[in-house]
Amino acid sequence: MMTRIDVFDPPMCCSTGVCGTDVDPQLSRFAADLDWLAQQGVSVRRYNLAQEPQAFMANEQVQAVVNETDGAGLPVIVVNGRMMSQGVYLTREQLVSLVQSAGGAESSTSVMPNAAKQTSGCCGPEGCC
Amino acid sequence: MTWLDHPGRFFFFTGKGGVGKTSLACATAVKLADAGKHVLLVSTDPASNLSQVFGVSIGSSKPRQIPGVPNLCALNIDPEAAAKSYREKIIDPVRESMPGKVVRDMEEQLSGACTTEIAAFDEFTTLLTDDEHTCGYDHIIFDTAPTGHTLRLMKLPAAWSSFIESNESGASCLGPLAGLEKQKERYAEAVRVLADAEQTRLVLVTRPEQAALREADRTRGELESLGVNNQWLVINGMMPESESDDPLAQAMRQRGKDAVDAMPKGLQSQSRDTVDLQGHNLLGVDALRALLDPEQAEQTEAGEAAPPSVDVPSLSALVDEIASQGNGLVMVMGKGGVGKTTIAAAVAVELAARGEPVHLTTTDPAAHVEQLIDEAPENLQVDRIDPEAETQGYSEQVMATKGRDLDEEGRKVLEEDLRSPCTEEVAVFHAFSRVIREASKKFVVVDTAPTGHTLLLLDATGSYHREVMRNVGDKSGKITTPMMRLQDPKQTKMLLVTLPETTPVLEAAQLQDDLRRAGVEPWAWVINASLAAAGPTDPLLVQRAAGEVDQIESVKRDHAERIAIVPWQMDEPVGIDHLRAIARPSERTEASATG
Repeated sequence: MMTRIDVFDPPMCCSTGVCGTDVDPQLSRFAADLDWLAQQGVSVRRYNLAQEPQAFMANEQVQAVVNETDGAGLPVIVVNGRMMSQGVYLTREQLVSLVQSAGGAESSTSVMPNAAKQTSGCCGPEGCC
Repeated sequence: MTWLDHPGRFFFFTGKGGVGKTSLACATAVKLADAGKHVLLVSTDPASNLSQVFGVSIGSSKPRQIPGVPNLCALNIDPEAAAKSYREKIIDPVRESMPGKVVRDMEEQLSGACTTEIAAFDEFTTLLTDDEHTCGYDHIIFDTAPTGHTLRLMKLPAAWSSFIESNESGASCLGPLAGLEKQKERYAEAVRVLADAEQTRLVLVTRPEQAALREADRTRGELESLGVNNQWLVINGMMPESESDDPLAQAMRQRGKDAVDAMPKGLQSQSRDTVDLQGHNLLGVDALRALLDPEQAEQTEAGEAAPPSVDVPSLSALVDEIASQGNGLVMVMGKGGVGKTTIAAAVAVELAARGEPVHLTTTDPAAHVEQLIDEAPENLQVDRIDPEAETQGYSEQVMATKGRDLDEEGRKVLEEDLRSPCTEEVAVFHAFSRVIREASKKFVVVDTAPTGHTLLLLDATGSYHREVMRNVGDKSGKITTPMMRLQDPKQTKMLLVTLPETTPVLEAAQLQDDLRRAGVEPWAWVINASLAAAGPTDPLLVQRAAGEVDQIESVKRDHAERIAIVPWQMDEPVGIDHLRAIARPSERTEASATG
């Protein structure tokens, strides 16, 4: 099964974030890391609260974070349907280790679970979440 | 009026607020309709006054037939309203289920200039490409045009593919169009029509002033590089020859000629027309007909012989109040071309003359501040920042960090985002924030200010900062974010500069509303370049001066807490003495009488 990462971002005017606030090198580093993960065969999806709020409502865990923290708990990172972090853009190493643990023991030796064997977790092959 | 020769199907009029785009667009529409063509006139200007010009209410849903011009229909499209309905479409379904703060953040992110600009483009395209609604018209005339930034975005495949098709990694400034991919082909067609010289003519409208001509040349170059080559230049508001010996009239005529003689090379080769300055705003079909057919014009009524008297304090009176504070930040803001830099310099010079330590920082690209630097007294420090250099530095930093790991297509989108109007504003604001800190010890005067939208976005980071401080247990409550400083009238005074004309006053009022959203209240309005305050005797100028009264009254009554007026200047205000004179016009009159 392909590992899937969903990132729920705070509201942003444009994805590049150049309109408005300081250039946040974290944000660009994170985007590059996600691209890299995608190249390794991980399915990556990002949602911007200012553009797709319904995706946030559709996920109970994410909705709870938004409500409890007044939005400060974003971004929320969800791996294979499980919320793994909030309020922080993880480093590449942290992302890799999340993907590895989601991929199960068999794939932990390879850096990336390209050929995913793991079938547990909420997501079936169709990717229900 | 050569822009009317062999017209194509579409006309776009573009230029800054107050140059007369709407008047020329309306006059063109009436002229073509009188010649038997079926014409649709469309305004997408949020400050549109089509209804006022024609004296009938013109809406956005259905073209309105104009009385007295059988072949002419008009439509008023409000892109702000379109942007609002887009925002609501996204936010309403979740409004009740999200915390109020989160909803407000979302609204702000969707309230930028880009959202409105894209919404306006969306409206253009319907009329450019939808034959069903427009097939009955021989000509469609728009009193605004899309900007180069919008058009470039439309042409970038990645701007579409990265968001609209895969919807995964990025939205860029096209973000507001999420979910509209079916429009993509229509947009491509609209961009094609714009660049088709057979079908489309773009009329650049400008005033005979140096800065306005430079701006027109920038627009020309930008649109030309996008293939929009069928351009016409109309210089509107030339002071006509007259028999009066009013020195104001002579100075105005001379300044117009000088500016036209010295206009940028790129404009010189352009097909060009000039239109005379009118005594009053053009209202009604007859006045519009007369504009392009001067023989029909009624003679200027020799009605009012004397200019109106305006009872508005001088700039110097405002400065007295600012000076009494002892220190603080003075931000002078307004749309391009209203004279922000001159007003900022005059305020700084006045404050310095009262013995206060002052630091003036301007974005003025002209040499006009250089001379000030040479002459400045010891307590007046003058420097400037270069918006282009700041923007470039900022953009390079972004490309080097964010752009580093992007592919070619992704870098193109990022580069285009960096050409958005917000980028310059942010870059310049960062540069200014270095001097703003000094304002607790002396006066700091700057000739620019961020819009409310930018402030709110910047504060989104500021509030995060506050949160952190609270968590580490800082109980002193002494943390000041830049936003809090700008909201406090004791620390910051915002002066909003405008001209005594309809559109500039409307635009200033919009800036004020935008600042208010960010909790910042402009401290005073400055009405610049007033003929009424300059006391003309030439009949045409007297008539124009009389026309200013309504605008001045409206600023006083509807908009401004405090107000000051600066008369129209016969020559460019350069140097300490001249800058002092614009703040104290009565003394200037005496000085020029003796000198």
